[in-house]
Amino acid sequence: MKRRVLVVDDSLTIRGDLEETLTGAGFEVTAVGTLAEARRCLAIGGNDLVVLDVLLPDGDGVDFLGEIRALPGAPVPVILLSTEAEVKDRIRGLRTGADDYVGKPYDRDWLVSRARELTRGPLEKTPSPLVLVIDDSPTVLEGLRATLTEAGYEVTTAETGEAGLRLASDARPTAVIVDSGLPGIDGATVIRRMRQDAALRRLPVMLLTASEGQGFEVTALDAGADAYVRKEDGMPVVLAKLGAMLRASGAPADMSEPASLGSPKRVLAVDDSETYLQVLAERLRSEGYEVALARSGAAALELLEVQPVDCVLLDMLMPEMSGTEACRAIKKNPAWRDIPLIMLTALDEREAMIEGINAGADDYITKTADFEVLRARLRAQLRRKQFEDENRHIREELGRREKEAAEERAARALAETRAALMAELENKNQELEAFSYSVSHDLRAPLRAIDGFCAALQEDCSDRLDDAGKGYLARVRKAAGRMGRLIDDLLAFSRVGRFGMCLSSVDMEGLARASVVELREQNPSSALEFSVGSLQRVNGDSSLLTQVFQNLLANAVKYSSGRSPARIGVTCEDKPDEAVFSVRDNGVGFDPQYAHKLFGVFQRLHRSDEFEGTGVGLALVKRIVERHGGRVWAEGAPGDGAAFHFSIPKKAAHP
Amino acid sequence: MTSGIVDVLLVEDNPDDAELTIRTLRKHHLANALHHVCDGEEALRYLTGPEAHSPLPGLVILDLKLPKVDGFDVLRALRADPRTKSIPVVVMTSSREDKDLAKCYELGTNSYVVKPIEFGEFAEAVARLGLYWMLTNSVPR
Repeated sequence: MKRRVLVVDDSLTIRGDLEETLTGAGFEVTAVGTLAEARRCLAIGGNDLVVLDVLLPDGDGVDFLGEIRALPGAPVPVILLSTEAEVKDRIRGLRTGADDYVGKPYDRDWLVSRARELTRGPLEKTPSPLVLVIDDSPTVLEGLRATLTEAGYEVTTAETGEAGLRLASDARPTAVIVDSGLPGIDGATVIRRMRQDAALRRLPVMLLTASEGQGFEVTALDAGADAYVRKEDGMPVVLAKLGAMLRASGAPADMSEPASLGSPKRVLAVDDSETYLQVLAERLRSEGYEVALARSGAAALELLEVQPVDCVLLDMLMPEMSGTEACRAIKKNPAWRDIPLIMLTALDEREAMIEGINAGADDYITKTADFEVLRARLRAQLRRKQFEDENRHIREELGRREKEAAEERAARALAETRAALMAELENKNQELEAFSYSVSHDLRAPLRAIDGFCAALQEDCSDRLDDAGKGYLARVRKAAGRMGRLIDDLLAFSRVGRFGMCLSSVDMEGLARASVVELREQNPSSALEFSVGSLQRVNGDSSLLTQVFQNLLANAVKYSSGRSPARIGVTCEDKPDEAVFSVRDNGVGFDPQYAHKLFGVFQRLHRSDEFEGTGVGLALVKRIVERHGGRVWAEGAPGDGAAFHFSIPKKAAHP
Repeated sequence: MTSGIVDVLLVEDNPDDAELTIRTLRKHHLANALHHVCDGEEALRYLTGPEAHSPLPGLVILDLKLPKVDGFDVLRALRADPRTKSIPVVVMTSSREDKDLAKCYELGTNSYVVKPIEFGEFAEAVARLGLYWMLTNSVPR
């Protein structure tokens, strides 16, 4: 399927040129001259890419880009195209969300290659890669064809370098394997020609040779080969290196993956001289580089913020921020540190070179030198950067895999441990349940017998018992009753943890009032003054929260029994994350230094002949409140009443 | 099996609980025609099958934890038999467990009483249930 490009430029010449270039590259092109027309085209939709001029008769391209970015749906890639008059435009465009910014005069091949990259869909990846093999020996050709076909590649062949180059342009192979010793132009030359051809520049190429020695390898790589194999290494090595080569170039969308050495490079040139910049830019563009220009160190730094570049050419002597300063600033930034930086200067002095290198520059060139020297050094720097990137990528990949493996091992160990613990916990819970069940049954029965037969004795044989005997019987019955209450309390306590909570929105005020009514019935003769304020609803288990109020209020009644009237109040404070409930009384209070003991099981602060109790009630309150994710605490002073507080969080409790 | 009018069948394996229950009912003159069995199997023999007592008792007081056949199974069998399905059954147990309570009602008990530990309460509960089920309540005959 053809990709659709919308070209927006007011210049008829540029529209015509872009239309021709992009159509020739296999795109379907719509070209318009105004923003109004562009808006209509976008409204119709179906555009895979927009190439947008910045200065248009009816508005500003960057503002229009803002409009495009505000549209709903999948973002359309946009390349801004503008004269490099003002570096601010480039920065503004990229900040507004342009996918790329190409300066005029533009390099056609660069534009096409960027257009291809930005419109590449996942569907366009060919299932079996096509490999072009160039070799003058029919035997070698057939051998490679058999091996590659078996490994799942499509193969096409050529017997001379010239034929190979033609085929590369026509058939668009995924990779090329070229023999070094060919009749006519040799393998290294074939590669060099490919690297000069914008359409073939990115193509991964492997050089195949019968030659021996290090020198040849250097020549091969210098020519731009991505891999190098000696014929004697055998077919497995060819396959392995071909695979590696395709992997390395296979994911250009992933920025962490280093692009092929042959991929287009962007150079940032920084110089205060407009004339020199223009000359430099023209030469670099003719070499196939995309060039960004900045007229000051500050502008260069600002541009780097928004657009990654592959190399920086930096003039040493500039007004305001000097080249040395700019260089230091670039090399200090971790994101830019690795960008190769070449210092340019008019000074042909040793000191200047040393100063530049000390500031962190990777290389140094005098402006008076031949452009050929600049070109060679630039290529050398780009190559060095490429290899560094590849090495780092490999190291990072290895590190990442190791980390993943370690994490997986740890996660598995953790899961196993957790499963074992859960099983053990489940087991313990079942044991506890069985225990509680038998406590509930078997401990009660003998108590009932003790109390029952004591009662029978009192009723049937009281005439044969003296007062001491009657007193003993009363004490046995009292003790049996106490033990019965203790069993009930402990069962209630264990039940809090044993069963899941049944959560709902609980009317706390209703629960408190019901408990008050119950307590009045149980203590008809006491002078009790209750006041229940307006209480917040909470998310919790209603039957458990009922027990909280029952216990706290019964406690308050018990410890204020000596007061007439006993005043007991329930209030609530609504906080952002929780509701805090308080039960206050005017009873005997407690010594605050023992406050921490209040909520422990069997902990009592008063002698049992003063106040009866099992010592479980407050522990039960604490357990219930904590199951709701809340806290309990108490305030009091001897003889001066007590206040018990508990909080219930507003977020959902643990079910 | 002997014949004659039997008002209450008490199914209780604990001799203490049995005696205290009988004593209370007797005090309220409700135990004149009471039969006591000590396990579920005996209860089923008394109430169902070829040797069943005739006529059947007017009330069954049933403990849950019983040797051989437990109270749940006795209840299930009584409710499955057309002759016994409408006899009032009062489950009297030490268990406060909600699931026991729920299960008994599912199986068709008429009443569920947790035996109080305190004898005064116990006696009151027994007396009240005896009076209600034996004197107040009516069942199809």
